Amino acid sequence: MEKFTKAFPSRPFASRTAKPWALAGVVGSGNLEVLLEHVGKPGNRMECHVATSIPGYKASWLAALSDFASNYPAGGTRITINDQGAPPVLVNLRLRQAFDHLVKGDR
Amino acid sequence: MTSKSPLFHEQTARQRIAALVDPGSFAEFLPPPERITSPYLAQLDIPVSFDDGVVIGKAKIGGRKVYLAAQVGQFVGGAVGEIHGAKLTGLFKAAARDGVPCIVVIESGGVRLHEGSAGEIAIAETMRAIFECRAKKVPTIAVIATDIGAYGGMGMLSTCCDFRVMTEHGRLGISGPIVIEKWMGKKAYDSSNRALVWKTSGGKTKYLLGDADALVHDRAEAIRDAISGLLKKSSPVTLKAVKARQAALAKRLKRFGETADPDAVWKGMGVRDVAAGALASGPAFAAMAKRGK
Repeated sequence: MEKFTKAFPSRPFASRTAKPWALAGVVGSGNLEVLLEHVGKPGNRMECHVATSIPGYKASWLAALSDFASNYPAGGTRITINDQGAPPVLVNLRLRQAFDHLVKGDR
Repeated sequence: MTSKSPLFHEQTARQRIAALVDPGSFAEFLPPPERITSPYLAQLDIPVSFDDGVVIGKAKIGGRKVYLAAQVGQFVGGAVGEIHGAKLTGLFKAAARDGVPCIVVIESGGVRLHEGSAGEIAIAETMRAIFECRAKKVPTIAVIATDIGAYGGMGMLSTCCDFRVMTEHGRLGISGPIVIEKWMGKKAYDSSNRALVWKTSGGKTKYLLGDADALVHDRAEAIRDAISGLLKKSSPVTLKAVKARQAALAKRLKRFGETADPDAVWKGMGVRDVAAGALASGPAFAAMAKRGK
């Protein structure tokens, strides 16, 4: 397991949330779960906690998370990830799904 | 029933619960932000899940308060570890205490081998809590609707409940097909023979033999309707009922114990046209079985 924490600058999360958290994905082979929580402060930072079963890809993780933080208004949120070897494209998809669920509610 | 609604077996655990209950009525106990995760998996350096593979909570079905659990089959095969099992135990204990019916949507291979003893004990404790419910005539219902099915300890746990609702995609057993083949030999049980596997552990056969109480379409509405009907009943554990069940099982063993052909079991249970039965939908099959076709 490799674990790391990092905060990224991001525009403040503006929308009202259906509930204060959203979950996307599942911890299965080649998959991950993303827990996105609206914590409010600090309003211009996206706080990330990653635990992955595949060590050695921290640079890819930071790139994917930084990308998301700059594309979405995720300031004031906390992202916690349990990963079991998901490829970057899936990480991006799950982040977007979690964000969508946080804004619009579960479906 | 609309054909546009998603197939139940393709939905996630939380989607299944949301689709089964009155809109917006579900409140989750120990939701993911609480981060109640497995200490064993962490010790073994294996990824954990925020809900430890089971979603539990309270909701309403047709205005009636229920407790619900749904297992996450994709996380370690829906297997039961200490935390996962404790959530199930607590839910059924609460059901017994509060007199609220309890429904468990099962999708599990049984005990999680990484935490074997703790998982076994948890399942045993959950079974005890189920019998507490039954002693108080609080309905307990297991839903089995996916090919991960209900196996091992969860297969046994499902049969402790008052009722089982299955779909034709659901499977119920103790040992899985590959385990039986390894133990008994390929001649006795060929796990690559899909027809054999489904005709021994699938929903249709379980319904025929009386192990499943309802065989319904693979849609949340159909499963909810079956649950609503069963919520009005309970199946109390009495000496008379247990003796009757044992006698029925002895009769089944005598009748089919030496049979190697699952079609003979179907025919013996009143399905005259086996080929048509195999192609029929779950409810159509149930109707055929009742009419003796």
